[in-house]
Amino acid sequence: MWTWLKGPGKAFRKPLPGSTNYLGAYDKQGQLARMKNNRDGDQADRRRNEPEALEDEDVAAKRDMEDENLSEEDRELRAEQRKIARATREAEVDDMDEREGRPRERLTDLRPYPLNHGFRSQPVLSEDLREMLYIQTVEQGHDLSSVAATFGVDLRRVAAVVRLKTIEKQWQAEGKPLATAYSEAVLKMLPTTPFKPNTNNPVTPHEPINDLPVHPSTRPQIFYPASESRSFTCEDAAAVFDRKLLPADKRIPLPMLVDLEKWKNEGLNRAERTARQIEKDRSAREEAETKERKKLEWEERTQRTVPGRRWDFNFQDISAEKVGKDGRGRDAIGFRYGMPHIDRKAGVVKIPTSVQ
Amino acid sequence: MPRKPHNLKRPRIRQDWRKENLYNLSRLTTPPAANKTFFQQKWTAKSLARAYHSPYVREGTWTRMFDRRLPSVVSMDHRYLAKYDGSEQASGRGAGLETPMQEQARRRRRAGEPFRAEDAVAKRADGRPEKTPYPQMTFHPLERRLDTAIWRALFSSSVKQARQFVVHGWVKVNGKKMIYPGYQLNPGDMFSVEPERVMFATGAKKKSSDSHVTDHGAFGGEVEEGEEAEDVEAREEGEGEESEAGMATIESAEEREALETKPEDEQDAKKAMKNLIARAKRILEDSKRDLSGKRQQELRAFSQSVKKTMSKHGSGKEDAAIDDTVDGFETALAEIMTKLPEDAKPTQSTSDVQQSATAAASAEQPTLSSNPQMSDPDKEDEYIARKDAELLSAALERARANPVDASKPYATPWQPRQFMSAFAFIPRYLEVNQKICSAVYLRHPVARPGLAEVPTPFGGETMELAFNWYLRRR
Repeated sequence: MWTWLKGPGKAFRKPLPGSTNYLGAYDKQGQLARMKNNRDGDQADRRRNEPEALEDEDVAAKRDMEDENLSEEDRELRAEQRKIARATREAEVDDMDEREGRPRERLTDLRPYPLNHGFRSQPVLSEDLREMLYIQTVEQGHDLSSVAATFGVDLRRVAAVVRLKTIEKQWQAEGKPLATAYSEAVLKMLPTTPFKPNTNNPVTPHEPINDLPVHPSTRPQIFYPASESRSFTCEDAAAVFDRKLLPADKRIPLPMLVDLEKWKNEGLNRAERTARQIEKDRSAREEAETKERKKLEWEERTQRTVPGRRWDFNFQDISAEKVGKDGRGRDAIGFRYGMPHIDRKAGVVKIPTSVQ
Repeated sequence: MPRKPHNLKRPRIRQDWRKENLYNLSRLTTPPAANKTFFQQKWTAKSLARAYHSPYVREGTWTRMFDRRLPSVVSMDHRYLAKYDGSEQASGRGAGLETPMQEQARRRRRAGEPFRAEDAVAKRADGRPEKTPYPQMTFHPLERRLDTAIWRALFSSSVKQARQFVVHGWVKVNGKKMIYPGYQLNPGDMFSVEPERVMFATGAKKKSSDSHVTDHGAFGGEVEEGEEAEDVEAREEGEGEESEAGMATIESAEEREALETKPEDEQDAKKAMKNLIARAKRILEDSKRDLSGKRQQELRAFSQSVKKTMSKHGSGKEDAAIDDTVDGFETALAEIMTKLPEDAKPTQSTSDVQQSATAAASAEQPTLSSNPQMSDPDKEDEYIARKDAELLSAALERARANPVDASKPYATPWQPRQFMSAFAFIPRYLEVNQKICSAVYLRHPVARPGLAEVPTPFGGETMELAFNWYLRRR
């Protein structure tokens, strides 16, 4: 073991600057596998050594001013383009410098467990991107699903980022010490999804946003003969698997994207699409409100409150059938004769199942 | 779980970041199946997998948690869903016609272009869709456990340590203390660990309890001794720089703070003085080699006088007076610093830094110029001085965020522990904010074509056998 630690294992003692440092990225001799035919690295060196490919801003601006064919707007547009190109190049150079001429990791280099080909270390959100998500949702007030769709981040993840960022800001305001050193070190060790504003490619999609869970009732293979002339759609297939199963375009987390795309295919222009979207949002909101109101009405109808001297007693209709076959149904109420509660036994740890 | 988790003769992969574990991982192979019965193969696979995944869960508990239905997802492309209603997949001879999109994707693949998100299903090199690695998901119910999730979020160096954190009450779930390591996280649960504990768990070890330096490289041996020595020297220099620079300027910043917060409470004054003592101690430690005895005495006297003031303060002296004395001590400390001989400071760069520091200090606080170096500002290269000051203020900011402090249980300034980077990954079902050492359990882990989210060191064959072992009793 000590021989290995001094030899091939030496590379793992400290993190590799600007890169991840997993077992899967090295060969048996402890050499970085991606350095073997390092064309990318050579290219990087060449890029760094070559003279400034983009012309100086002043020179370009002057040339634009002298060119009489250009209008004022054109000039502004071109200045903007030059600015973006410059920022892009700067970002590239920074990235290369950080990697110290090493090529980017390939997918196989991201395997912490070389034997497990079905697992790799996937990127996490960079600090900039988290901040951007927070700004978009909290400060600019965009709704979660459109932010999720724009940045290619899962809906639940956006919500979680906002939740965590809020606490972080709260800590900052309170002056509570943050684990900044830890955070920086860990984010350097992990692959991250960058956010590079003002470049050609500011947003890198983080993850697939429309994941369709494989429904248990779709697991068995079914032989279902249908006539050749029949148009057998997703909805028909879903009904074959289970009568209540919805088709894929209704079960994905962001079905609104499908609608938008459909309207686009219909040839509606942007304004019309927006109008439809607003209309749809409004009807969804109304539906939710109706549901809420109905629930309240139901509660009023079925539940009685008897005010006591110290406590109010709430009465509600229950069904004794809910206990199920074993008498321990989840929603069942009350103590059953002959059914002792296991959690009252001595020595049984009563771990809570949820924390509110 | 044996007391000694890593046996080099009978290697087992465990959920921790030890070097033994890394070594075992590096030589891990799929156990040979030749000359073994199916039962034996399953037994080996199951014992390997269980040693990694569930050393703290009893076999009976685990078999009850085991579920043969493994969760998976397929990522859908909304453009495809908008364009087609699914009938195209049943057309032709029943297996569907090739859509233009699929055709394009195939062409791109042929041309060797990289995979794009719109090629909804990941494809293998031979053009068939990627298989979903279900067997690697065998132990997915265990990823819900609080202790495992803490370790997966990189908040502790092993699951055992994560358990300890939970049991000792350093962990909160949704803001409430949770003391059960076996708590099953629900999607949307937020768990947070005390940042100090996380820094301790993931930080480099201290050389000894009263020093702040790490013992990294203690096992390096003869081969790397030269490098080791250099490393240590460099580190010491760095620290010297930091602390010396801190001497010259942090006080200015802190003084400002002190001035701002002057009348508020006695706690601040107390803290400031504690700081002063610590700093004086640091001066002693940093430049003990070259510091004259007289200077050392001066510094000791300094820290004693601070102590005296503190005790006076404790007996009920006025706050304003205390703050004045704090200021006095600060200037005294600055004076002592300037009297330090140049060669007592670790390097030339240090003195440079200090000069620029004084420049910065003078820029920030012209009133406090008891320092002789401040009286003659360097006018000819003002620009460089300003640059230096900027650099220094950035460095100071970093130093203040990550200070040298021998009272911490980890080496300071904080740095990641050895071999951490080889184990550092965060699975997608967690969203972690490292700054506040909190994470949200977004959803249960799932498999998708080509990718399983449960991190396991074993290959598909081993996990398939382990899955079969537990399937046997169902």
